Amino acid sequence: MHKRAAIRAVSAAIAILAVVVQGCGRTDYAEELPREVDFNFHVRPILSNSCYVCHGPDVSTREAELRLDTFEGATARREGGRAVVPGNVRKSLLIKRVSSHDSEVRMPPAKTNKVLTEREIALLSKWIEQGAKYKTHWSFIPPVVPAIPKGRTDAQPIDRFVEARLESSGMKLAPAATRSSLIRRASYVLTGLPPAPEEVEAFLLDTAPDAYEKVVDQLLSSPRFGERWARHWMDLVRYAEAKGHEFDFTIQGAWQYRDYLIRAFNADVPYDQFVTEHLAGDLVLEPRYHPMQGFNESAIGTAYFGLGEGKHSPVDTRIDEADRIDNIIDVTTKTFQGLTVACARCHDHKFDPIPTTDYYSLYGIVESARFASTPLLSTRYRMSLDSLQDLRRDLRTEVAMLWRGSMEGVPAVPAAIRWQEVSPADTMRTWAMLGDFRSGTLDGWFPHGPAFEGRGAWGAPVVRSGDFDSLKAGVASSRTLIVGVPGALRSPTFTIAHDTITVMAAGYKSVIRIVIDNFQLIRAPIHGGLDQEISGSELAPYRFDVGMWNGRKAYVELLVGTYDRQQVLMDQHQLVLNDSSYFEVAYAVGHDGATPEIPRLVPKNVPVAQAISAWENFRATADHVAALNGALRMGALQRPDVRPAVRTAKRIKAQLPELPFYIGMTDGNGVSSAVFGRGNYKTPVGDPVPRRFLTALDPAGQPFTKSASGRLDLAEAITHPDNPLTARVMVNRLWHHAFGRGVVSTVDNFGGQGALPTHPELLDYLAMRFTELDWSVKSILREILLSEAFQRSTNAPEGTLEADPENLLLSHYSVRRLEGEAIRDGVLAVSGRLDTSMYGPPVPIHLTEFMKGRGRPEVSGPLDGNGRRSLYIAVRRNFLSPMMLAFDTPIPFSTFGARNSSNVPAQSLTMLNDPLVAEQARVWAKALVSLEHADIETRVSAIYLRALSRTPTEDELVQAVAFINEEAERMELIAGEVMGSEELWAAYCHVVLNLKEFIYLV
Amino acid sequence: MTRRQMLTMCRNGFGGVALMGLMGSSAFGRVLGQVAKPRPHPLHPKPTDLVPTARSIIFLYMDGGVSQVDSFDPKPRLAREHGESPYDKFAVDATQFNSIGKILKSPWDFKRYGECGMEVSDLFPHVGQCADDLAVIRSMVADFPEHTNANYFLHTGIGIQGRPSMGAWINYGLGSENQDLPGYVVLDGGLIPPGGLDNFNSGFLPASYQGSIFRAGDLPLANIDPLEPTSEIQRRKLNLMSRTDKHLLGRIGHAEQVESAITNYELAYRMQASVPELVDLSGETEATKKLYGMDSDDPNTQIYARQCLLARRLVERGVRFIELTCPRVAADRWDQHANLKDGHERNAHAVDQPIAGLLRDLKARGMFEDTLVIWAGEFGRTPFAQGTNGRDHNPSAFSIWLAGAGIRGGTVYGATDEYGYRAVENVTTIHDLHATMLHLLGLEHEHLTYRFSGRDIRLTDVGGHIIEGVLA
Repeated sequence: MHKRAAIRAVSAAIAILAVVVQGCGRTDYAEELPREVDFNFHVRPILSNSCYVCHGPDVSTREAELRLDTFEGATARREGGRAVVPGNVRKSLLIKRVSSHDSEVRMPPAKTNKVLTEREIALLSKWIEQGAKYKTHWSFIPPVVPAIPKGRTDAQPIDRFVEARLESSGMKLAPAATRSSLIRRASYVLTGLPPAPEEVEAFLLDTAPDAYEKVVDQLLSSPRFGERWARHWMDLVRYAEAKGHEFDFTIQGAWQYRDYLIRAFNADVPYDQFVTEHLAGDLVLEPRYHPMQGFNESAIGTAYFGLGEGKHSPVDTRIDEADRIDNIIDVTTKTFQGLTVACARCHDHKFDPIPTTDYYSLYGIVESARFASTPLLSTRYRMSLDSLQDLRRDLRTEVAMLWRGSMEGVPAVPAAIRWQEVSPADTMRTWAMLGDFRSGTLDGWFPHGPAFEGRGAWGAPVVRSGDFDSLKAGVASSRTLIVGVPGALRSPTFTIAHDTITVMAAGYKSVIRIVIDNFQLIRAPIHGGLDQEISGSELAPYRFDVGMWNGRKAYVELLVGTYDRQQVLMDQHQLVLNDSSYFEVAYAVGHDGATPEIPRLVPKNVPVAQAISAWENFRATADHVAALNGALRMGALQRPDVRPAVRTAKRIKAQLPELPFYIGMTDGNGVSSAVFGRGNYKTPVGDPVPRRFLTALDPAGQPFTKSASGRLDLAEAITHPDNPLTARVMVNRLWHHAFGRGVVSTVDNFGGQGALPTHPELLDYLAMRFTELDWSVKSILREILLSEAFQRSTNAPEGTLEADPENLLLSHYSVRRLEGEAIRDGVLAVSGRLDTSMYGPPVPIHLTEFMKGRGRPEVSGPLDGNGRRSLYIAVRRNFLSPMMLAFDTPIPFSTFGARNSSNVPAQSLTMLNDPLVAEQARVWAKALVSLEHADIETRVSAIYLRALSRTPTEDELVQAVAFINEEAERMELIAGEVMGSEELWAAYCHVVLNLKEFIYLV
Repeated sequence: MTRRQMLTMCRNGFGGVALMGLMGSSAFGRVLGQVAKPRPHPLHPKPTDLVPTARSIIFLYMDGGVSQVDSFDPKPRLAREHGESPYDKFAVDATQFNSIGKILKSPWDFKRYGECGMEVSDLFPHVGQCADDLAVIRSMVADFPEHTNANYFLHTGIGIQGRPSMGAWINYGLGSENQDLPGYVVLDGGLIPPGGLDNFNSGFLPASYQGSIFRAGDLPLANIDPLEPTSEIQRRKLNLMSRTDKHLLGRIGHAEQVESAITNYELAYRMQASVPELVDLSGETEATKKLYGMDSDDPNTQIYARQCLLARRLVERGVRFIELTCPRVAADRWDQHANLKDGHERNAHAVDQPIAGLLRDLKARGMFEDTLVIWAGEFGRTPFAQGTNGRDHNPSAFSIWLAGAGIRGGTVYGATDEYGYRAVENVTTIHDLHATMLHLLGLEHEHLTYRFSGRDIRLTDVGGHIIEGVLA
């Protein structure tokens, strides 16, 4: 937006604010109607809740051809009158119908169990009286810089917004929180851990005016910050490391994505870039690389696509695909846009302007993308590959020199290798070529990974028993450099039209897969035959019986490496790369019946000298290689000694580091989808919908063209400065985690059924500020944490509990329970068991006897998870941690920006009797008894400081001492034994871990 | 959208947002000015829409899919056409294994039972004798031919992971009559169904409504065993906690959540006693134990008998929803892709007598009238063989039965085609079953909603009709 335009918008806002100030100062808000009824804030909630299901955007369930979500619809002339007559309540049938006493006439109908309240009817009436103005839904209107309310000049803008609301409601402010509360609060909010006792003490002693600011900065720069916020983000993308369903297969390398998140939050990657990396990190032109290890960071973001449920052996792969894409659309639109686009799968969205065509344009984007096993290539690995490339170049130069010397006297095209023309055969084709690599091209297939990055597979020396034999011809090969280098070759998407697909291939420990409807979990009983291992160094036909999938969309995939499909469940279905894995492929055809004879390709005659120089420069075509091979066969060219080069290559290869894989995304060719009638693919409606952005946000609806799938274009649309949702949704998430409630409480839903913002101008201020700060999550969080609102005490000022029981206006800081992870991590931190090692494969989940079922890991993980933070514990869909579930860690199936905060005895039982908590109390006690505390009081104080970040009160000390003495007496300890009794102190520590103050932020 | 349009909206629209934000909108009107009411505990009993018929539900889950044509839906035609190709008879759907064999007759005979003359196969001689109490639905259909989806569908009304289970919905709707026990109990007989514990979860509902898994043994529930050697020591610890917690309340003032967390410790303390008391069967007579089959030679019958008896005891204590999972018989769940005869026989033997015992015991104690008992698997099986002697999954027809509260006994409802392959008459969905369950509990399925993802979501999704034909 232009600056001038923004200023104009701001002045408009100020003008309205002036009106507001006049209207304030009353206390009885419940009764009084607003002076001006606003469609967005007063009317839409009523209509959306009570009317839109039958009279909203969705035409399929529209009753009486009446729609109330548009001015035109509501005011249309109809038989019997108009629903809404602006300025005339009496003539407006809407009011008549909703206020009728006749249950036959009254709307909404009795069966909906909805009745409008008098206040709602009064609001509707007043709105009509005032002209029945409709407005675009608030969140679709781009934020503008709001006027910062006057107020204390020393207060920062956030506080001025908050205080203006409180003041206008006549409410008081809570005083500042105690320092110990504050450091505990900031520490948990930013890092998910309690502050260390030394940190608390230092803060309590630091009288500098910027003491708190320093604490916040320290916390923001702590590596624990990234872990905390990665976990928050994992809630949004239904993070799990196993696919659930029947056998809970591992999602290969899912944890690489978890580590990516931690690094990204710690490095404060600008949010717009972070979003782009999620949607299209594999496609960005200038990816981020890991600063130390050098692998491509950006591409890892795309792993979120594949974190969903994975169905074992679906009877209909297309339904499975539709469900998978639905989940991806659901998660993507909620996470980045706060919109529930998945509601438009079967019908137009009932509340928001999202037609099914929007859903299926996004569907096409996801359908065009492919899951891709992607290696993390470190700098070290890449350097080795580069050395191999150099080696090959040098070898060619040497060999070419040798050959040129031996070419004297040989005719330009020796007669012995003059190719004969063959008449074109087989004009009655019963087969279709899916990919023909015999002439040296990839025939439009998509190469992926370093196996295809090397130059000159075509014409590479074929070495037999250590000696040079000939030059490679007639195949596409993953051996552009050497065996064991990962890569894939994938065909364009095609429709299966034959009973059989035959792939002429050779290789070792590599695999050919027919991927139907993007279905990846290719296994018995139904799909087992669609995955065949290539085994044999001579080209051989691999036949796939695809008759039962006739008409289905598919692509052929050749992969270096094989899928481990052994019966070891934990490691099942992982791509395994063998040191010697490679594949070569001549062609792939679809055909009915017997494997067809594919006509031989006949090379053109080229002069040998020309072939040598083309070959030397990695430009050799099939004809060049044929000429060279012919010349070699007839002895016109000498076979060079390649033994030293082979030795060097082997040495380099031996040093290649092991490659970790994750499931990222790659593009195939663009596929567009028609709308599925009632969400069923068997009943497509109309033409395919172009891949483009949501029409409500981009009414022009230009099809995406920058990337085959449109993912890159989608990322641009979402991160575009004009997008009204992206920044708002993210700052609201940050606010939610800082205060326990978002400015919009439905953090994943900014649509019509979502909550309205409690502080709309504040939200816009934060959104604008966020983009101004270059989308820096840390910077905006810093401002939020430095606000006085964040630093307030939890003590509600007098009267506020009655006036604002949910503390929407933030007169004080709301008490809230810590998340399961923060509780468990807190226990480990306090006991001293916490191991702050970062990253790496998940620690296996500890299995209790209650955790059963198919796919159960063979081995249980350690009770204390090796002391690692909770986000490093394995998230296996069918074996989720009971402790986390008890404390509302979401089940990973959709986006959960705001967790439930339930309160049940199972939680008390966990803290009271769970072996983990008991064990950690003992660990803590063991450490305590080895410390030289002068007396019980001193030790209790140390315990308090560690667990609760404060010193005990007199009263608490007295009670603690009494308990300890009673226990000592029961245990028949003599005075000198009390301080050294592990059992005694374990009992007391257990009590402290069970205090509400330990699991609540107060 | 053009820049100009946007600006117009900003001026006309967004200023309005600011205005209303400050003035207090209807959304705040509802909140501001309301006196804070203490929120009841999530499991406190709640009022119902209708007068409830049933107080509790016992759900006998037949994991793996019982064959309808071998249990409650006799099909003589299968015997006549045994060994013939199904392709000559009807359109055959793709199946889980796609190993379509020949028409397969039932290895069991059917007998008529009771005054109603209902036909039940020899797999269920004990349950057969209760025919006059059963309402069999022969026309069930499910949406999924795969176990996991079908299990989620049966349990949550949606065939994907992560939705609240029916037991969670019921507790959300009704609360519980007994605060000393969980409101939703899963008695684990040994087999957790495909899809795992998520079949029993609370999905997007608060964790309060999760199913609690009870294992066999004296300590059936996780973390129910007090850490402390004596309850006196635990009491002393609890006292110190409680004093310190109250101190906290004194400092921070009103904090509803903290208050109920404190209360929960008292509930937890009582659960430690009430759960062991629940599973202590020493007070049951030998006759009762025998009725259920606890003296059987078959260890799996013993397991299931104990579960059925526990189910009755849970109902007595006011637990709303109890689900029983199957024992782990040698032939796996009811999922006989091969060796139908052996597998079904073993599974049936494990559950037949205990179930009949449960029905009789409930009647004898006057509990039958307000307890709804449901017997169901996730789908049925094919009338043709998989291989030679198994049956594959079939979501197009299966039989379930209901008994007890509000159910008209001796009823056969709905029908399948002549092969038992597809439901053709009074086709009944899982949503219908859920709607009927809620109805009998006094809840209208269309009104039991929870807002998630911007939608008021129901157990019955967008379907569900009460199955009037089985109601008394």
